[in-house]
Amino acid sequence: MKISAKLGYTAAGATVLAALLTPFLLMGTFSKGFVALGLQVDEVYTGGPKVRAIPMGAYSINVHRPVYQHFLQSEKPFVQLDWRPVSALPQRVSDAVDVDGDGQPDLRVSFDVPRDPKASLRVDVDSLNPRYQAMRNAGKERYSRLIVRVDNAILVRVPLANP
Amino acid sequence: MATDAHILPLARPAPRGILRSLLLTLPILIWSLLMLFHPGTNTDPKSRIAAALTAIFMTALFFMMMRTRSTYRWRRYFFVSLGILFPIGFIHNLLVMRGFMGIPVEEMIAGRTPFCFMPIPLLILPAAFTRTLVFPGSILGSQHGIAAMVALWLAITLVMGKGWCSYACFFGGIEEGMAAIPPRAKIRKLDTRWRYLPWAVLLAMVLLSLALFEPAYCMWLCPFKAVTEYVAARNALGLVQNAIFVLLFAGLVIMLPLLTKKRTQCSFFCPFGAFQSIFNKTSIFEIKIDPAHCKPCLLCQNACPNLSLSKESIARGETLLSCMKCGACVDVCPRQAIVWHIKGTEIAWKPERARLMFLYAAWAMAVMFGGSIITQGVATILHFLV
Repeated sequence: MKISAKLGYTAAGATVLAALLTPFLLMGTFSKGFVALGLQVDEVYTGGPKVRAIPMGAYSINVHRPVYQHFLQSEKPFVQLDWRPVSALPQRVSDAVDVDGDGQPDLRVSFDVPRDPKASLRVDVDSLNPRYQAMRNAGKERYSRLIVRVDNAILVRVPLANP
Repeated sequence: MATDAHILPLARPAPRGILRSLLLTLPILIWSLLMLFHPGTNTDPKSRIAAALTAIFMTALFFMMMRTRSTYRWRRYFFVSLGILFPIGFIHNLLVMRGFMGIPVEEMIAGRTPFCFMPIPLLILPAAFTRTLVFPGSILGSQHGIAAMVALWLAITLVMGKGWCSYACFFGGIEEGMAAIPPRAKIRKLDTRWRYLPWAVLLAMVLLSLALFEPAYCMWLCPFKAVTEYVAARNALGLVQNAIFVLLFAGLVIMLPLLTKKRTQCSFFCPFGAFQSIFNKTSIFEIKIDPAHCKPCLLCQNACPNLSLSKESIARGETLLSCMKCGACVDVCPRQAIVWHIKGTEIAWKPERARLMFLYAAWAMAVMFGGSIITQGVATILHFLV
């Protein structure tokens, strides 16, 4: 048998072995290798990393790092604010929020908190800082301009006016 | 080219003995039980029954492959079952979890969009340039996490190359089933230049995904959104997207396979299939044509479900890069001139050995991945029937 044929059969045998090892070894190894690449899901979906929490008594507001678009992405830059836990929120929330941490309020965010977790949400945002856009009766039109309930938090995304 | 009168069929190989076929099937039976009954799964009786039925089904098909020495039609039973049962199990899961098939924005933000393999080529450039994955899912997560699916894809691709499209893809079975329905094709002449279209779609989608920073194919062109998880139509744009999904599904997955008896979506459109073709170069298993035996009757060309044989490629003794290793050409050849082959070995030297080695690897993957999907689909049906 030629050396190339020997190599071919060896590789074929290794392939069968790889198939048998896949659920026990290869899947885990490849999966860990992929995680080790350090990739992140696009912040347009995740809302970006949390930078600080503002305690509001029974609940808190998490402020996320502003998210900017890549290349020709259609979403505008925005900042995400989370109110959590929903169970501790009053029926009507109207909070002045210091987004950039300079001690001055940048936004006043107002929304109703319905008891039904599937009920649609609407938010009004008054801009107290020209960096942020005001929103009137906004729902979930775009990733950069929305209010949604995710698990035990209400997320509000406010577009940046002057990124 | 030879006429039919010149094609003298060689004697078909005799069926393998039952005992020998059973012995060859035994490893697959053990593997099926190991994969479908591993601890932590199938806790309720219906799921156990579904797993048992799946194990019997997969083992019986493999036995028939061994006994008859043919591959295509037995593989097709598995593949069509996979294509039909995947949407049943998947949609049922969606309806139980969220009550409807549309993906709401809340689920995308929460990273709970199930990740299928289709966007894998679309993620590469954005990840390379920005270390960002343009998909609203989670990297971790045992069931539908991005890392788990990428790992599974990589393992199966290492083993089978483009065999993925015949033994693992849970979409291709629908059109393969459609193509099997009519006795003969209504449209027989297909312009072979359409074969290049998946490459064009792949290139366009990869560049668009980078430019728009979204999985462009999933957002705009995936026909299988129609039977899995569509974009929740919150506005006119969403309606347009869903209309495109439904039209492409009706045209490429239902109508054209019925008219042509080919897997038209795979042959003329699927960018993942084009991407997967590249890995036929790295796979050790391939299909070869033995020029010493071939009278070019072109039966193989007609039988190929995705136009992976041309007169030129037959003359060269090989399939095109897009070959899915389904075995249709091997089984149809009246002179056994088309054979399973291991790279580096001589053509037609113990081709059954090459076929067996490929089938053990491919069927092991099929049971592990497709078997669990079939089990879920059968369990869903049992849930409604019993």
